[in-house]
Amino acid sequence: MNVLTFFDPSSADLETPDPEDVRMLTEDVWLALLGEDEVLLPRLVPPGSPFDAAGVWSATVTVTGGWQGVVTVELDEDVARQLTGTMLDIPGTETVADGDVADAVGELVNMVGGNVKSLMPGPSTLSLPAVAAGRAAFPSDVTEACRLDLAWRGAPVRVSVHIPQ
Amino acid sequence: MKILIADDSRVMRQIVIRTLRQAGHGGHDIVEAENGRQALEMVTSEAPDLVLSDWNMPEMNGIDCLQALRAAGSDVAFGFVTSEGSEEMRQRASSAGAAFLIAKPFTPEAFDDALRSIA
Repeated sequence: MNVLTFFDPSSADLETPDPEDVRMLTEDVWLALLGEDEVLLPRLVPPGSPFDAAGVWSATVTVTGGWQGVVTVELDEDVARQLTGTMLDIPGTETVADGDVADAVGELVNMVGGNVKSLMPGPSTLSLPAVAAGRAAFPSDVTEACRLDLAWRGAPVRVSVHIPQ
Repeated sequence: MKILIADDSRVMRQIVIRTLRQAGHGGHDIVEAENGRQALEMVTSEAPDLVLSDWNMPEMNGIDCLQALRAAGSDVAFGFVTSEGSEEMRQRASSAGAAFLIAKPFTPEAFDDALRSIA
């Protein structure tokens, strides 16, 4: 997914979210959606590495206004389907349709992004989620402000926040 | 009680319905809307006792829906279920006439407290 931004860097606070706050809110959202035993573990990934799952779903929301940024979630395909099945209470992942995966992954990034927005200076506006099958690609006018590489049941999950350069 | 759930995400509507059940509020009639505009129309056609609405939706967002309802003279109980739980959003919701704002991620207890507050 090519992430498009329409930022005005001159008008916004370029404050960076605290990675520990982003980790905690991501864990809160994850546990609420998947259950209290479904822990996200930290995963060591070299800086600058693209998301390395074989199959990927990605989703972004954009915050504009008093603070500007792009919040992105990238998930391994199996993680995305299991997340969707759990959210819809469907046993197994065979019957999970792509449309439902897009809906579930979009809701995940909406929840993470809405909570990131609440941490940052306002007032600002949260966009509707953009969801795609495939990893996220970012334009050159943004820089990575925060990145969490995590693993759920051994499969990769990434949450990142980009801000205007 | 009849509850109108407005959210563009089918997954989230299912989660809200499940959470209501977990909170001990599973016996209510549920009707669903996919955006604020549809919710606005369904308040007239379905006469719900409570609207549980997402904030951020296509076509018409939740706050515009609430303001349109109040401008049209509707006093239906209205609560937000949204990922944006900042004080600024809570004040905007309250000023527009919302009874409560439940922030995502939520618990069954948050729904129970909210529904009891309007009983």
